[in-house]
Amino acid sequence: MPIKSWLAVDAPLRSDAPHRRAGGTHRHILRTWMLAGALVGVSGAAFHGWRALLILALTVVSTFAVDLSFVLATRRASSGRLSRTFLVGLIAGLTLPVDVELYVPVVCGALSAFVGNIIFGGWLHPALVGRVLVQFIFLNHASLAVMGGAVLLPAYIFTGDATASVSTRYYDGWLDFEGEGAQAIELQSPQRALRAFAEGKIPPDGDDYFEPLLRDVLPPWPDAVLGAVPGGIGETSLTMILIVGFFLIYRGYLKWQLPASIFLAAFVTVAILPVGLADGYRWFPVFAVENGRAVGLAYCVYHLAAGQLGLVAFLIAGDMHSSPMRVQGQILFGIGIGSITIFMRLYGVVECEAYWAVLIMNTAATSIDRLTRRRTLGTQPPREQAALA
Amino acid sequence: MKHILGPRSAFDGGLFLPDRKSLLARRPIQTLHPDGPLQVPLTVRADLRTECIVDVGDTVVRGQALARALQSDAINAHAPAAGKVTAIGRVWTANDGFLPSVTIEPDGTDQRTPRHQGWDEESLITQLAEHGVMCSEPRAPLHVVMRKAIESGVTTLIVNAMETEPYLCSDLRTLVEHPSRTIDAICDLADALCVSNAILAVPFRHRRVVRRLRREVVGRHVTIEALANPYPQCHPVMLTKAVLDIEVPVGGSPLDCSVVVLPLGSVRQAADALLADEPVTDALITVAGDAIEHIGTYRVAVGTPFSDLARRLDIRAPVRQVVVGGPLTGVAMGYRDAVVTSTMNGLLYFAHREDVRPVPCIRCGWCIEDCPVGIDPQALMKLEIVDQPSSQSATDLKACIECGLCSHVCPSRLPVAESIYRARVRVHSRTGDAS
Ligand code: SF4
Ligand code: SF4
Repeated sequence: MPIKSWLAVDAPLRSDAPHRRAGGTHRHILRTWMLAGALVGVSGAAFHGWRALLILALTVVSTFAVDLSFVLATRRASSGRLSRTFLVGLIAGLTLPVDVELYVPVVCGALSAFVGNIIFGGWLHPALVGRVLVQFIFLNHASLAVMGGAVLLPAYIFTGDATASVSTRYYDGWLDFEGEGAQAIELQSPQRALRAFAEGKIPPDGDDYFEPLLRDVLPPWPDAVLGAVPGGIGETSLTMILIVGFFLIYRGYLKWQLPASIFLAAFVTVAILPVGLADGYRWFPVFAVENGRAVGLAYCVYHLAAGQLGLVAFLIAGDMHSSPMRVQGQILFGIGIGSITIFMRLYGVVECEAYWAVLIMNTAATSIDRLTRRRTLGTQPPREQAALA
Repeated sequence: MKHILGPRSAFDGGLFLPDRKSLLARRPIQTLHPDGPLQVPLTVRADLRTECIVDVGDTVVRGQALARALQSDAINAHAPAAGKVTAIGRVWTANDGFLPSVTIEPDGTDQRTPRHQGWDEESLITQLAEHGVMCSEPRAPLHVVMRKAIESGVTTLIVNAMETEPYLCSDLRTLVEHPSRTIDAICDLADALCVSNAILAVPFRHRRVVRRLRREVVGRHVTIEALANPYPQCHPVMLTKAVLDIEVPVGGSPLDCSVVVLPLGSVRQAADALLADEPVTDALITVAGDAIEHIGTYRVAVGTPFSDLARRLDIRAPVRQVVVGGPLTGVAMGYRDAVVTSTMNGLLYFAHREDVRPVPCIRCGWCIEDCPVGIDPQALMKLEIVDQPSSQSATDLKACIECGLCSHVCPSRLPVAESIYRARVRVHSRTGDAS
C-alpha cells in the first residue's frame, strides 16, 4: 500500500469516544420481539385456524395505517418508530380471540395506535390500551369475553374449519379425542372456569369443592400448557410463549426477573387469597386436599397457566417503553402485575384482568424508577447522611 | 472457590468487554528503531513551557536534552535517537494539538549520553523530572504527581496494571517481560512516597502473571492484588473502591482519600530512569486494529509519525479511523502528521468507522445497569438543554467518570457520554460564572 494513501480521505478529523459500540441495536431488539410475537401468532393459528393470521394482519395493518398517517400529517421523524408500531399491532392482535368480527381487530389496532401511541405517547402499553378500549366499546360482543371456543383437532391443525366443531361431555385430552368427522372441538375457557369457581358457581360434589372443577370443567393439564384451549390468539399456547420468552431472555432483551416475579407473585397470591365455597370463604386454598390428592396445588398451578398471564409475563410486561428500567424496579413491577391479576380474577368484574394489571402498573413505572434508583458512588447513603446531621 | 472462580466485581455496573487480546497478549515487545525523520515534541502539555536548547544543524546523541524546563512542573525533552537536527517547528499531538517540536534525522548510530549511576531517595524526584517521566492519569509529569501526593500525606500507593480496554496489552507485556524490574521500581517509588502500603493491581485472569509476581514480591513491601476486570476497573476511582473499598467523594480524586494511583506505564518509565539512567525517549504502545497487518506491542521512539508506523507495520486497507488509546476512551483523529508521544499506550488503525445514527431512547435501562458510578445517564442526557439542574443531577454530572460505557451499550446509538460531558461543561461554566 503506497504511503500517501494510508489515511482515507473521508476519515473524520476528530470523533467522540467511544469508538466501538456493543452489538445490539434498537433494530435487533425490535426485530427479535417481532419474531417472538409472530411465532406466538403462528402457534395461535395452529390451534385456531388460519383466521388467526387474518386477525393479526388486520390489527397490524390498521395500527400501521393510523400511525403512518399521523407521521405523514405531522411530518415527525419516524425513525425506529414504525417498527415499534408493527410490534404494537402484532401484540394487540395476539390479545384478541379468533372468532371476533373482522371490524374488531381494525378498531383495536387503530385505537392502539391513536390512543396508546399518539395520545398517551406509549407510556401505557399501547396494545393493551387498544385492547381494553375495544372491550368497553363492544361490551356486548359475546366473543370478546371468551366463554369458550373451538380448538382444531390434531389432524386438522392450521387447516381445519373451526365452525365444523362438536361439543362433548366426554373429553380426556385433546390428543386422544376422536372427532368422528368433526374438525374442531368446543371447549370452555379455563380462565372463565376459574372465575366461575371463584364466584362459587361450580356446584360441589358432596364435600369436594375442587374436584369437580379440576375433573369436569378444566381441560387436562397438558392441553392447557400446549395451548389447545380457547382464548386469545397468543394467550393460549404457554409452550410457545415459554420458548420465545426464553429466547428473548437469552438474547438479553428481557430480564428473567420480570416473568419470574410475575409468576411467583401470582402463585403466592392465589395460594393465599380465599375462594368463596358453599360453606364460606376458604383461605390458603393451596393446602386443600381432597380424596388424598393435592387439589389445592393443582388449582394454583392452573391459575398460572390459564388466560393471559403467560403472554403478559413474557411478551407484554417487558415492553421497554412502559416498564421500569432497572432489574429491581422490574421485580416490583412484576410482583404488582402478578398479584393484581389474580386479585382481579378472583374478585373483579372486568375481563382481561392481566392487561388491566399491566396498565395499572405502567402508571407506577416512573415512581418505581425513582424508588429503585442507584446510589451515586462517592455520595453518603441517605441514612448515614441523616446520622451525621 | 474464590481461587477457581476469581474475585467478584467490586462495584455494581461495569461490563466484561470482548478484549480482543488473544493474539496481542502473546506477542513479545519489539523495538522499532527509528528509520526516518522524527518530530520530537519539546513539551508534554501545551501549558508546560520549555526552552529549546539545540539549533538546526546540531548533531545530537540519544538521550541528549533538546529542551529545558522553564517551570518547576515542566519536564525536559530528550533526543530519541542520535542524528542531526534538521528543523525546528510545530507538530500535531493527539492530546494537546500543536506543540513546539524539533525534527531529527537519525544517523543510524546508537551513540548515547554517558550514564550516571546513583541517586538517593531525596534526589529521586529530581531524577524523575530530569528524565522526563510523565504520568498519563492524571496527565501531569510524575514528579509533580509525587510531590502533590507527598504533600497530601498519602498512605497507599496503587499501581494500576488493569488495562480493561480491548486491544491494549502494553502493561501486560511489561509485567510478563520485566516483572522484577517493575517491582523494584514500585519499591523505590513507595519509599520516596513514604507510604505504608504499595499495591500492584493486576487482572486475576492472567493467572500465570499473578503467580510470577507473587513469587517476585516475597520479602518486599509490595502486595499483589488480583482483581476481576470488568471495564472500567482500570479507572483510579473504581480501583480505589475495588482495592481498598473506599469511595472517592464525588468529583474528587483518590488523593482526597490519601491514596495515589499511578499507571504502570509511568512506573515502567520511572524504572528506566531510576535503574538504567535512561531518559524517556520512547513509548510502549499496542498497535492494533483491522487495518494493520503486524499487530503487536512495540517500543517506538517519541516523535515517530503515525504514517511511518503505518508503513512499517503494513497497512491492509485505507484507514478510516485512527484512535490514540483504547477504543472506549481514546482520542480519534484524522490528522495525517500526528506523532507518537510518551504517554500513549495504544494506537488503533481501523479500516471502517462505525456508522452511528441515533434514534430516540427506547428506555432499555442498559446504560443505568452498566454505569459504574450508579447514575442515570439517560436522564442526565437531557440536562444538555436544561438550564437549572437539580442538586442531585448536578452531583451526578460531577460523579461521571467519562468511561463511555453508556454510549457503548446504548442500542439507540445515542451519544450519551458525550452529552453528559457537554452538560457538565455547561453547568460548570455557568456555576463558575455565578460564583
Ligand atoms: S460515561 Fe459517565 S454516565 Fe456513562 S457509564 Fe461512564 S460514568 Fe456512567
Ligand atoms: S441505553 Fe440508550 S436507549 Fe437504553 S435507556 Fe440508556 S439512553 Fe435509552
